[in-house]
Amino acid sequence: MTSLLDGARKLVTRGTDLGERIDGLEAAVAAGRGRLDDALLDEAATVADRAAGRLRLSAQHTVVAIAGATGSGKSSTFNALTGLELSSTGVRRPTTSWATACVWGSAGAEELLQWLGIPPRHQTMRDSMLDTAREDRELDGVVLMDLPDHDSTEVAHHLEVDRLVELADLLVWVLDPQKYADAAIHDRYLAPLRSHAGVMVVVLNHIDTVAEDRRQSMVDDVRRLLDLDGLQEVPIFAVSAREGIGIDGLRGEIASRVSAKKLTRQRIEADLRSAAGLLQEASGTGKVRRLSPTRVDELEDAFADAAGVPVVVDAVERSTRLRAGRATTWPLVSVLSRFKPDPLKKLDLDLGESGAALRGSSRSALPATTPVQRARIDTEVRALADDASNGLGAPWVESVRRASVARLPEVGDLLDSAMARTDLGADKLPVWAGVVRVLQWLLILTALGGAVWAGLLAAGGSLSDEEYQVAGMPLPLLLLVGGVALGIVLAIVCRGLVGGTARARAAAADRRLRDEVHTVATELVVDPVTGELAAYSAVQTALRAALR
Amino acid sequence: MNAPDNLHSHAVSRGSDDHGATEDSRMITAMVRLHSALDATELPFDLPGLDDVRIARTQMVDQLEDYVIPRLMTLDAPLLAVVGGSTGAGKSTLVNSLVGHRVTTPGVLRPTTRSPVLVHHPDDAHWFGQDRLLPDLTRVQHVTDDPDSLQLVATEAVPAGLAILDAPDVDSVEERNRVLAAQLLAAADLWLFVTSAARYADQVPWEYLKQAAERSTAVAIVLDRTPDDAVQTVATHLARMLASRGLKDSPLFTVAEGKIDNQGLLPPHHVADIREWLDTLAEDGDARGAVVRQTLDGAVRTITRRTYPIADAAVEQTAIGLSLKADVDETYDEAIAAVIAATADGSLMRGEVLARWQEFVGTGELLRSLESRVGGLRDRLVNTIKGKPQQAERVTVAVESGLETLLLEHAEAAAERTHARWSQQAAGAGVLADAPGDLGRASRDLRRRAERMVRDWQLDVLDMVRTEGADKRTTARFLAFGVNGLSVALMIVVFSHTAGLTGTEAGVAGGSAVLGQKLLEAVFGDQAVRALAERARRSLEQRVSVLMHDERARYLSLVDAVTVHPDTPDKLRQAARRVDDLRYQASARAAEASPGEPL
Repeated sequence: MTSLLDGARKLVTRGTDLGERIDGLEAAVAAGRGRLDDALLDEAATVADRAAGRLRLSAQHTVVAIAGATGSGKSSTFNALTGLELSSTGVRRPTTSWATACVWGSAGAEELLQWLGIPPRHQTMRDSMLDTAREDRELDGVVLMDLPDHDSTEVAHHLEVDRLVELADLLVWVLDPQKYADAAIHDRYLAPLRSHAGVMVVVLNHIDTVAEDRRQSMVDDVRRLLDLDGLQEVPIFAVSAREGIGIDGLRGEIASRVSAKKLTRQRIEADLRSAAGLLQEASGTGKVRRLSPTRVDELEDAFADAAGVPVVVDAVERSTRLRAGRATTWPLVSVLSRFKPDPLKKLDLDLGESGAALRGSSRSALPATTPVQRARIDTEVRALADDASNGLGAPWVESVRRASVARLPEVGDLLDSAMARTDLGADKLPVWAGVVRVLQWLLILTALGGAVWAGLLAAGGSLSDEEYQVAGMPLPLLLLVGGVALGIVLAIVCRGLVGGTARARAAAADRRLRDEVHTVATELVVDPVTGELAAYSAVQTALRAALR
Repeated sequence: MNAPDNLHSHAVSRGSDDHGATEDSRMITAMVRLHSALDATELPFDLPGLDDVRIARTQMVDQLEDYVIPRLMTLDAPLLAVVGGSTGAGKSTLVNSLVGHRVTTPGVLRPTTRSPVLVHHPDDAHWFGQDRLLPDLTRVQHVTDDPDSLQLVATEAVPAGLAILDAPDVDSVEERNRVLAAQLLAAADLWLFVTSAARYADQVPWEYLKQAAERSTAVAIVLDRTPDDAVQTVATHLARMLASRGLKDSPLFTVAEGKIDNQGLLPPHHVADIREWLDTLAEDGDARGAVVRQTLDGAVRTITRRTYPIADAAVEQTAIGLSLKADVDETYDEAIAAVIAATADGSLMRGEVLARWQEFVGTGELLRSLESRVGGLRDRLVNTIKGKPQQAERVTVAVESGLETLLLEHAEAAAERTHARWSQQAAGAGVLADAPGDLGRASRDLRRRAERMVRDWQLDVLDMVRTEGADKRTTARFLAFGVNGLSVALMIVVFSHTAGLTGTEAGVAGGSAVLGQKLLEAVFGDQAVRALAERARRSLEQRVSVLMHDERARYLSLVDAVTVHPDTPDKLRQAARRVDDLRYQASARAAEASPGEPL
C-alpha cells in the first residue's frame, strides 16, 4: 500500500520538490515524536497526510473556494461566476447552510469531490449541462465551491468553513462594504493565513452600494487592513455580483491562475511551509551540538571515582610492591613482612584462585552506590546534559536532560559488575621475581652451607687449613659472608625493579578498569544523549528539506 | 480607581431623613464595599479557565465604577441611551438623523467611529461632568479620534431627560473599539442596538444581546439599512430570533434604506418612530425611571450573582498558593532528609572518607598523634618534608568534599524537582515565567555557602572536643596533642552513628567507627561520647536545614509575593450578601406598597 502511495506521489510530484518537502515534514515529525509537543506534531502529520492525499487526487482539477461573512454575497458571486442560479441567495441570514460545488470538466473529479466531502446532490457538473456551446472553456478543470458563512450564529457553519478552507487550492474571500473590517474574518482567517498569500484573492462585493467617488478610498482601506494582516501580495477585486460589475475580471483572474496548474502545488507548499515553520519555531534553530570530549572524560572520571578505581589501583600498586618485594627481598626479612596485610585482600578484591568464582557475587552483593558517589555522578551528568543542550530549544533541553538521567538508576549495578569482571593482573608474581626468590634462597642455602661447613671445620680445627683457603680466606666463611652479602645486595637492587613493576601493573589495572568504566558511561549516559542530539539533528535536516 | 472612594464619602454625606434616600445611601455603601472587595481580589495564579473569571472581575469593577455607583447616586439623572452595534450598521447616521443635524461623523471606511460622542440637552450638562458616569473618559467639546475621550455635544434637538451616546462598533478589527463599546454598553440605561439586513444573524452582536437578556437590560433593536423588498422577511426573522433568545419584550424598529442627504442624514420620516418613542420616554418621568430601575436592578443582580464564582476562584487561588508552597516544602524536606540520611547511615563513610580514615588509623598516626609530642612533631616534620598534609587533615578534607558534594547535588536535584513540579501546573508555570533568574538550578553561591557550612560544622566539632576535654584533667595531655585526631574520630562516629548498617557495610564502616568510638570513650567516657556525638549530629542537621532553607526561600518568596489574602473570599461573599439583602428589603417594601403588582 505504502509503495503504491509513494508511486502515486512520485507521479504527481514529478518535476517538483513537493515529495521531498512532504518526506521532510514526515521525517521531522517522526524524529521529533516524544520530544516536541504532541499536538504540534499531530498537526504537522495531518498537514503532511493531507498534502499527500491531495496529491494523489486529480491534478487536472483546481479547487476554488468562495468564503466570506453572511450577507457578503458569496452565493451571488458563485452564481455570477457560474452563470447559473445554482446557489440560493436571499435576505434571510444565514442563507447558505452547506457547501455547493460546480465542476467544469468532470472527468476524474468524483474522487476529489468525495475527498472534499461534497455529496453528489450539492455537485453540479458543468459539462453535463446543455449550454456548453455557449461556455468559453477558460474555467475548465475548476471545482468552484460556495462555502457557508463563518460569522453567523450557526456554529455548524463555522466548522464546515474551517474544514474546507484547509482543503481548497485557491481561496476567494468575499468582503462587502459593511463587513470588510470585521474582526471575525481578519483575526480568525486572513491574518493566520498570511503564509498562504499566494493562493488567496480578496473580492470586495456590493461595490454598487458605494458612491462611485468613494469606491477607490474604500478599496484603499481594504488594502490597508490586508497589509496589516500581512497579505500585501493578495489582489483585491471590487465587484458587484448583482450588477455584474467586475465579475469578468474576477473570472479571468481565477482562470489565469488555474490554467497555470500551479495552484495545487502552491497551496500544498504553503501548508507544508507553515507547518514546518511552526515545528521549527518550537524546536529552535540552535546549531547541532556535539558532546565535548573533555566533558565525557570528566564524566568518566566521576564514574571511575564512584566505582573506586583510584583506591583499587592504589591497592594494586601497593599489593604488587608488597608481594614482589616480599619475594625478592632477603628471605629473612620477607618472613617478618608476612604479618603486614595485603591491601588487595583488605579491599575484598583479591581472594586468590579459589575466590575468583566468588568474586562476582561478593561484589554484586554490595549495596548500591553511596549517596556521595551518586551525587558526584549526578552533578557530572547534569553538567554534561547542560553542555550538550546549550543553545537548543526548550523541548530539546528537556529531552536531553531526560535521556541523560533515564538509565542512571542502573549505574551502581553496572559499575560493580564491571569492576568485578575486570582482571586486575595483580594475582601472579612476576617471573623475574620468582627467579630472584629462588636465587635468594640459593644464596641463603649457600650461606647456611658455608656456616655449617665452617662450624664443622672449626670443630675439627682445620678451618685455617691451606686446602680451604681461597683468596686468603677460608672458603666456608667466604660462602657464608658472600651468600649473605650477595642476598642483601640483590634485595636492594630488586627494590628498584619492584617499584617499576608495581607502577606498571597499577597503570595496566587503571587502564583496564577505565576501559570498563568507559563502556558503562557510554552505555548509560553518552549514548542516550548522543541519540537525542542525533534526533535533533535529524529534525533540523528534515525541516530544512521541508522549508527549502 | 479613586473615584469610588470619593463617591463613598459623597454617598454617606448625602444621607437625608427621607426614608428612600437612606435606603439608597445604604445601597450605595454596600455597592462601594463590594467594589473595593472586588478590586482587592487579585487572582494571581494562572488556571485553566481563569481568564474568563479575571475578565469578569475587571468588567464588574468597571461597571460598578462606570455605571452602577454613579447611577445609584443620581437616580434622577437623564436616561442614557447608548447606540451600539456592528461596524457599518449605520450607528452614526442614525444618531445624526435622530438629532436632526450632524453631531458625529459617519463614513464608508470601517471602523468609522473610534471615540464616543454624547449628545444631551443643554440643561442636562451638569449630569455628565467628569466625576459622574464613565469617570475615566476625558470630557472634550470638540471632534476627536482619541478613544480615551468622551465628546460632549449639547443641543436643543434632544429632549431634556435623555442623552444619546454614539458608541464605537462591537466587532471590527480595532480591538480598542470593541473594548470601549463593551464598556459603554455596560454603562447604558438603554441600549439602542443597531443591526442591518446583512448583519442581523452575526454571532458577535448576538453575544451582546444574550448578555443584555441575562441582565434584563432595557434594549431596543433598530434594524437599519434594509432594502424595502427585504424588510418584511428580515424583520419577521429577526423578531423570531429575538423571541427565542429572551428579548421578546424589546421594541424592534425598522429603518428602511433611504437616500441620505448631503448632511449625511436620513429622511426624517424614516426615523420618526424611534424619535417619537424616545420623546415619549423623555417626557414620562415614571417610564424613564422604570427603564433606569430595570437596567440598574439587572446590573446589580448580575454583579452580585457573578461575585460568588469570583469568591470561589479566590478560595481556589488560596488553595493553589498553599499547594505550590507544599510542593516546595515537600521536595526540599526530601532533600534535607536525604542528606541527613546519607550522613547518618554510614554511607558517607565509604569511598574517600573511609579510605582516608583507614589510612589514618592504619598508618598509626592516630595513635601516634595521641601518644606523644615527639611523635606529633616528628610526623609533622616528616610530612612537611614529604609535602603531604597530615593524615587527620586528609580525613577532614575528605569529609568536607563528601558533605559538600552531597549538599550541592541534593540542592540541585530539589531545585530541579520543584521546578518540574511547578512547571506541570498552569499556576506554577505562570509564577516561574515571571520569576527572575533560573530557578531550576541551585543558587549560584551555593557552593561557597556549602563549603562554609561544612567548615563551620567542623570547627564546631573541634570546639566541642576541646571544651569537653578541658574538663578532663587526666586526659589534658592527650588533648593537647590530639584535638584534631579526636574530632576526626568524632565525625566518623557521627557518620556511622545509627544502627542502620547491615552486612558488609556494617563490617567496613562500623568496624572502622568502632575504633574511633573506643578511642573517644577511653578519653571522655562512654556517656560523654554519646552526648558529644548527639550534639555534633544535631549541629550538622541544623546547619543543613538552614542551608536548604535559603534555597527553598527562593521559591516561597515568589508565592508569598502574590498570594491571596485568606479572608478575601469571605469579604466578597459578605459584600454581595449585603447588597442582596438590601435588594430583597427594597422589593419587599415595594410589594407591600403596591400589592398584586409583579416585581
